[in-house]
Order: sequence, then C-alpha cells, then structure tokens
Amino acid sequence: MNTEVPPMGQENAAAGSTPEKVKETISSSKAKGTPKLGEDLKEPELSKAELKKRSKAEKAARRAKEKQEKATIGQPDVPNHTQQDQTIAPEPNMRNPASGAPGTKQQKRRRSSTANPQRQIPIRTLEPPAPTVTPAPKKDNKNVALFSHLYGHSRRSTMAGAGKDIHPAVAVLGLKMSHYIICGSNARCVAMLLAFIRVIESYSTPPGNSLPRHLTTHLSSQIEYLVSCRPLSVSMGNAIRWLKVKISEVDPDKPEENAKQDLCEGIDGFIQERITVAGQAIATSATERIQDGDVILTFAKSSTIHQTLEKALHHGKRFKVIVADSRPLFEGKALARQLANLGIQVQYCLLHAISHVIKEATKVLLGAHAMTSNGRLYSRCGTALVAMTAKEAHLPVIICCESVKFSDRVALDSIVLNEVAPPDELLDSDEAGSPLSQWKDTPNLQLLNLMYDLTPADYINMVITEYGSLPPSSVPVVHSLSMNT
Amino acid sequence: MPSAALVTPSLETFLESIEAVKASDADDVDYSIQHLVSLLKRRQIRNSRSCAIATAHLLSLVVSKHQVTDIARLIKRVQEVGQKLTDAQPKELAVGNIVRRVLGVIRDEAEEDREGEESIHDEAEGESPLSPKEVEVSSIEQQARSAPSLTSRPLQHGAISSEDLSTSNERLPNTKDDTSSQNRALNLSPPLFAAGTSQPLLKSMFSLLSHPVSSSSTPTVTPGTQTPEDPPSHSIHALVGGSAARDLRAEVVEAIEEIIEELNTADDQIAGYALDHVHSNEIILTYTASVTVQKFLLKAAAKRKFTVIHAESYPNEHESVHATVTGSLKGNSSGTGPDRFHRSLTTAGITVILIPDSAVFALMSRVNKVILGTHAVLANGSLVAAAGSRSIAKAASMHKTPVVVLSAVYKLSPIYPFSNDALIEYGDTSKMFSNEDADLIEKVEVDNPLYDYVPSELIDLYITNL
Repeated sequence: MNTEVPPMGQENAAAGSTPEKVKETISSSKAKGTPKLGEDLKEPELSKAELKKRSKAEKAARRAKEKQEKATIGQPDVPNHTQQDQTIAPEPNMRNPASGAPGTKQQKRRRSSTANPQRQIPIRTLEPPAPTVTPAPKKDNKNVALFSHLYGHSRRSTMAGAGKDIHPAVAVLGLKMSHYIICGSNARCVAMLLAFIRVIESYSTPPGNSLPRHLTTHLSSQIEYLVSCRPLSVSMGNAIRWLKVKISEVDPDKPEENAKQDLCEGIDGFIQERITVAGQAIATSATERIQDGDVILTFAKSSTIHQTLEKALHHGKRFKVIVADSRPLFEGKALARQLANLGIQVQYCLLHAISHVIKEATKVLLGAHAMTSNGRLYSRCGTALVAMTAKEAHLPVIICCESVKFSDRVALDSIVLNEVAPPDELLDSDEAGSPLSQWKDTPNLQLLNLMYDLTPADYINMVITEYGSLPPSSVPVVHSLSMNT
Repeated sequence: MPSAALVTPSLETFLESIEAVKASDADDVDYSIQHLVSLLKRRQIRNSRSCAIATAHLLSLVVSKHQVTDIARLIKRVQEVGQKLTDAQPKELAVGNIVRRVLGVIRDEAEEDREGEESIHDEAEGESPLSPKEVEVSSIEQQARSAPSLTSRPLQHGAISSEDLSTSNERLPNTKDDTSSQNRALNLSPPLFAAGTSQPLLKSMFSLLSHPVSSSSTPTVTPGTQTPEDPPSHSIHALVGGSAARDLRAEVVEAIEEIIEELNTADDQIAGYALDHVHSNEIILTYTASVTVQKFLLKAAAKRKFTVIHAESYPNEHESVHATVTGSLKGNSSGTGPDRFHRSLTTAGITVILIPDSAVFALMSRVNKVILGTHAVLANGSLVAAAGSRSIAKAASMHKTPVVVLSAVYKLSPIYPFSNDALIEYGDTSKMFSNEDADLIEKVEVDNPLYDYVPSELIDLYITNL
C-alpha cells in the first residue's frame, strides 16, 4: 500500500486547488486544521444523510489510518497522505480498512475528472460501491483462517515509499530478500550485517543525541524496512539482538569515529565467528559422519550442507547425493547443479518420490532455518516429511545448524510459528493459460504458500553445531551458552 | 473404428468403435482387441476406471461375437483376450480385475447350467451376477477352485495361488472389524451382507433372495417375483431347455452389462456414504484430482459446511488438481461420459485451500480426516496410489489422523504385493524441469514415480461402492 503513496500525494496536490476537492477534504481539514478550513463555509448546506455519511467515512478513515500508521512507523511522510486519502473513503471501507487505499484512488481519479460540483454528492452515493466492494471481501477470503495470525501487511516488492532515512544498501537488500535473490538463513543474516556496516559507516550522530541512543533507533527503522520486505529469520533476530546490546555498551564519551569503527569490527567478528568459522567447524564435523559408499539424502538447499558435502568430496570420500526438492522455490535445483558441477553423483527428485528414494539412501543430512528451544527443527516446508520418511526407514537424520540459528522460542506445530509467503508464487509464471491464473476470481478458493514447517524432535538423531554434535534436547543449553558469550 | 483415426484416441473413441463393431455383422473382434491393446500400451487409456470400462466393453463384444457354443472354449477365449490386455499394461490392475470377474460370471453360468437344480445354495451364490459383491466373491472362489487352470494367468506377479485368495478373503472381514460398519460391503457372510445392504442395492438383494426361491419352488412367496422380461433375472428352465449355450452367452453379456453399469455408478454409490464420514466444520485433506473423492466431498457439501485442503500433487497431477479446484475441469482426462463431473467444491460453498505437497505435514496437525483416492487395492489391503500418498498417509498416522480410502470394488485386486517395485510405474521426468534447467538434466539422475505403495497399516478405513 505504501507504494501507492507518491502518486496519491501528487493527485492531492493537483486537486487541492479546485473547490470540489476542498469540499471533500473538509472533514480531514477540520481535524488537521489546514489553511483550507475557511473555504468550506462557501457551501454549508449539507443534508443530514450526507453528514452522516461523511462522519461514517471519517470513522473508516481514522481506523484505516491507525492501521496504516502501525505498518509504517519510521516513515513520517506517509501517514499524512494516507489520511487525506482515507478521509473520503466510502463506507464499504468500514468492513475492510486495510484494502481501502487502492479503491479510494480509483474513485479519486473518477471524481477529479468530473467538473460539476453539484454532481459530486450523488455520484459518491451511487458509484463507489462498484469498484471497492468487489475487491474488498475477496481479499479477506484469500487469507487462510488457520494462519490469519501470520498474515502481516503484504510484502513490499518495490523500493517506492521507503522512508528517506533508509540506507540505499538496506533498501537494495530488502528487495533482494523479497525476491529470494538472497535466500537462506545464513545468507540473509550475513547480507544484513554487511549492510548494517555500511549504515554505521555513513552514520553521524545528530547534534544533541548520543550515539548509543540514536543509532539504535536509526537501525530500528532500517530493520522495519527489512521486515516489510520479508519477515526476519531467526538468525537475523539473534544478530540484531546482539548488535543492539553491542551498541548500548558503547561508551558515550568515546569519539564517534572510534565507536563506529569498533562496531564495524565487532560485526565483522560476529560474521566470522558465528557464521563463517562455525560453518566450517560444522562441515568438518559432519564430514566425519560421511563414509565411503554413503547415499546422502538432503532436502532443498542449505549452505551448510553444501559446504559439508564439498568438504567431504575434498577429503576423498566417495558418496552419492539425493536432492529432494519442492515447489515453489525449487531451491534444490541450485544445490543439485552445484554438486553435480563438483563431480558428485547426484540424483534429483521431488517430494512426491521421497518414499522411493529413501530406499536407496543411507543417511539424511538436513539444513536448518532455526532450532526451537524444545528441540524441534524449523526449516523449509517439506523437511518434516523427509525426516519422517527417514525415521520410518530407520535412517539417521543429522541436522547441520549454527548456534546463531537457535531460538529461545518454543513451538509445538508449524502453525504457531511460520511465515506465509505471497500465494501468487505458487502460480507457474510460464503457464499463462493455467486454470490457476484466475484463482482470485474463484470464490472460496484459497492458496496457501507456507515457507517453513516444524519437524518433531524425535525424528532427529543428531544436531551438529560448532559446539559439537548434540541431541536436539540440548538446543536450549547451547543457545543460552552462545548468547551469553 | 473408422472414426478413431482423426481424433486423439481415447476411451470415448474406443467405445465408439466397439459400438460400431457390435452393430455391424462383420467379425472384427480381433481388430478391437488390438485397438485396446495399443491404446493401453500407448497410455491413451489410463486410470483404473477408464481401463475397467474399456475392458468390460471389449469382453462384452468378445462374448457376444463368440461363434462357438462350447463354454470351455468361451472361457479359454476370454482368458486369451485377458492375457493380451494385461500383458499390454500389467500395471493397470483394473484390467485384470474385470477379466477375472467376467470369467467368474461365465463359470457361474456354466456351473449353474451343469448342475441345474441340484444345488440350490451354490446357485444362489453363483447365479447372481446382478449383485456385484456376489460376483466378486464367487469369481474369487471360482478362481481358487480352478487354480490349476489359472497357473498361466497373465499376471507378472506370479500365478494367483489359492493362498493369496484366501488371504484376501480373510483379510477383508478383519478390516471390517476394526473399522466401522462401512466395511460391511467387504464382509463375505451373507446374513450380514443382507442386513447391511443399503437402498441402492435393494433390487439386487431381492433377486439374490428371490432367485433360489423361484427356481427351487420353496413355498415362501417373495415380493420380487422374477419374470422373464426382467433383465437381471433369468430362469434356470430357460437355460436348461433349448439352446442352452446360446442363452448362456446372452446371460454373460447381460452380466457384463451389469458390471459396466456398476462401474458407472460406483462413484455415486461411494458418495452415498459421504454424510456418514464428513461432518460440519471438519478440515479434510485430499490429494490428487480423484473424481471419486470429489464426488464424495460434493455429496457431503450439499448438507454440511467444511474445509478442504487440497495438496496439488506436483508434478504429475497438479494441472488437473488446479483445474478441479478452480472448477474448470474439462472432464476428458479423468472422467468419462455420464460420470463427468462439472461442479467444483468451491461453487458448492466449500472453502478449498490449495497447498503445495510440502505443506502437508505442517497442516496435518489441524486436519480431521484424510480422504484419498487410489489406483488399486491389493490383496493385503495396501494401496497402489498416486506418488506422494504414502508420505501423506504416514504423516496422518503420525498425527493419529484417520485416513479414509475411497475405492470402488473394481479396484480391489487379488494380487499380493510380494515385490512392491514391480507395481510402480515411472513417468515422464520432463515435467519436473523448466527450460532453464537444460544443463541440470544432463548431469543428474531423475526419477518420477507415478505410484506409491501404501501399506495397509497406514489406512484406517476403506469405503467401497457396496
């Protein structure tokens, strides 16, 4: 929704001079006390019904505004425009304030093209329901009720509307994340920290503020932006928590340049210690688990697994890899390609063939997005099916996971903790004639695109971390250990 | 057969050609057999239902065009045709099932012809081709009895020994015990069967009871007194007197017509049980675009509001699943003729959530029931179903969610799965890749199995059409 703000603003500015426009913004003008206030005296005759309608619209707008403000904290220029927009929002918006803005925009266009001010009011009563009502209830329907708590605001897919204090590096990173160009827990975490280094480098404390206090809020607005592109991963959350502690520990009397340099070095050290070296340690340790002649089954793509298999190959182990994969991201194809290019024998299959390929496999190596404190694995959707099938076939299931991905949250099923990706990603882009392309017009049909699922702890035999190989029940211990150092 | 050249060959064109041959006087049976063999080999007729219908129609033609009146030779002829068909597509188990049923029908008629009034009980059991269940049972028994002659049965999984069959016979009542009364359909004991028979079967139950009465002149008067005009019924006297073999062929053709009728109505009969199993506000997970399952759910949707989670069955059936959920199913791929199903669940007011297959486990904790279609049901109760069904059934059993399998009787096969792999068919792998993956295809091994073997432990309930 934010993306539409600039054009709306322009329209407002252009239309603001005409009398009919002014009349429409009366209610908002009253509230805000803009200079246009005096002009509404020219046309004081308003019927009771109209007044009622207007106050209704005002109410709707207020609600929408509140909702929007929540979504756009840190972008002070946004709420202003939306408020003006929403003030003239017609009553159907009451039902769904969140989706009001696009409809309002359409009406505004139509209305500003009508010259006669006398016509304005009837048009408003007759016309608006047509464009707004139809999209509004449908949009509601498309959210799967079970996961209603996971639907945030829709994902940002363009840079437009980003606050002025968003650092360009962060802005670009956000887009890369939302388009899965940077994907995977580790990659996103490292990319975010590198972007923060650039933020800190180009940061200067405004006069009257101390660095520990102001930098934290400055970073928060960057983080807000990243969240609006795609929800943070657990590793990112851990890194941010660590960074904020680090910033708050900065001595306020320290010269700014030194403090910034210390912070940047600290971040570099964090990446090095918690991700790079940790990954290598895990790869070394996991390599020992691979024997000659093994058939390793893995699912989707994990950078740690890739590293492990590459290392095992360099150690001269001879093994075969089965890469299972799933819609819609097909991350496994990238892993299969990389491994095949290294010269490893690779078999590729989709999730439907899992009970066939499991017969051949001897070990299951899985990457992780996170490990919850009750020892469950939170990873790419479909991992649980692979682990379950492996457990049924009595194969060892080994998780490779850096301790930075450990979370202090607990979850019992995949519904409590998850990420719902835009359902349109499930459509085949190359199939224009596919029946699904019209899915939004089909009533009662919903598409659900879950990103993660939760694998029960009893499917997992071993978690390999940089602290060693552990059972899943040791996750909370290691987590508190790693967060306190 | 003349029209088949211009359009894409399918079940429809095959049935048309059969009709043409039937109408003509020419003896073109061999052509039709070859036609079906090639259609099966080219996979232009697939799905259990299509194969079963095509087989039944062909056998009906074979029997009606059979010139010789000798029963033994008729049986031999049907066996030969059956062998050709099963050899053409050994993984379509429904073909073999239908051949077996037709053989059973012929033997029943023959035995009845021979024994005449001697054994009333056998007659009652063997003479009612109208009751599909009876046919199934008696055909199995027949095969068990004539096992030696069947050692050359056209089944790649070895000959059907009588142990296999008795296993299957024993197993079915067991499943009934630990499930609900739903499985009464599989029960073999006649009293229970009669007690459990539901409305649509009343007619055949009447004939089942009334026939021995009319032929053995027991004093009891039954309401469904048979008349010669009544097609499902036939009088033993008519068979005995006059040209018995000629009449026998007509009887067999009639019995095959009954089988075809049963194939066409099976889904609706299964759907009749929908309200017993689907309740308000349930969340039901299903997989693949099975017409049987869709009809079942639609029937329930008429009375109840529930939610359906549909896993899209990528990459083999996702297109038809997408078409099913959006209600734009053409009907030529999975349904045939009158069975084509037009309404979608969404238009019936049911919320349908389409998910990728990977999300099955994540959602299973909220699912109340898993309803699956199947390709075949084997002698030990395990399934040959669409690939991916096994992990879904396993995920369901891990969450203690009941798994219900909808399977018409023609999908029940007496084959015992000694080797699971032999039953699995592998499909086209090109669906799994897009054009950008050209380099990948050369480097990696790829498998695309079409079917999964689902062990019977993972299944809680079978619903059949009886």
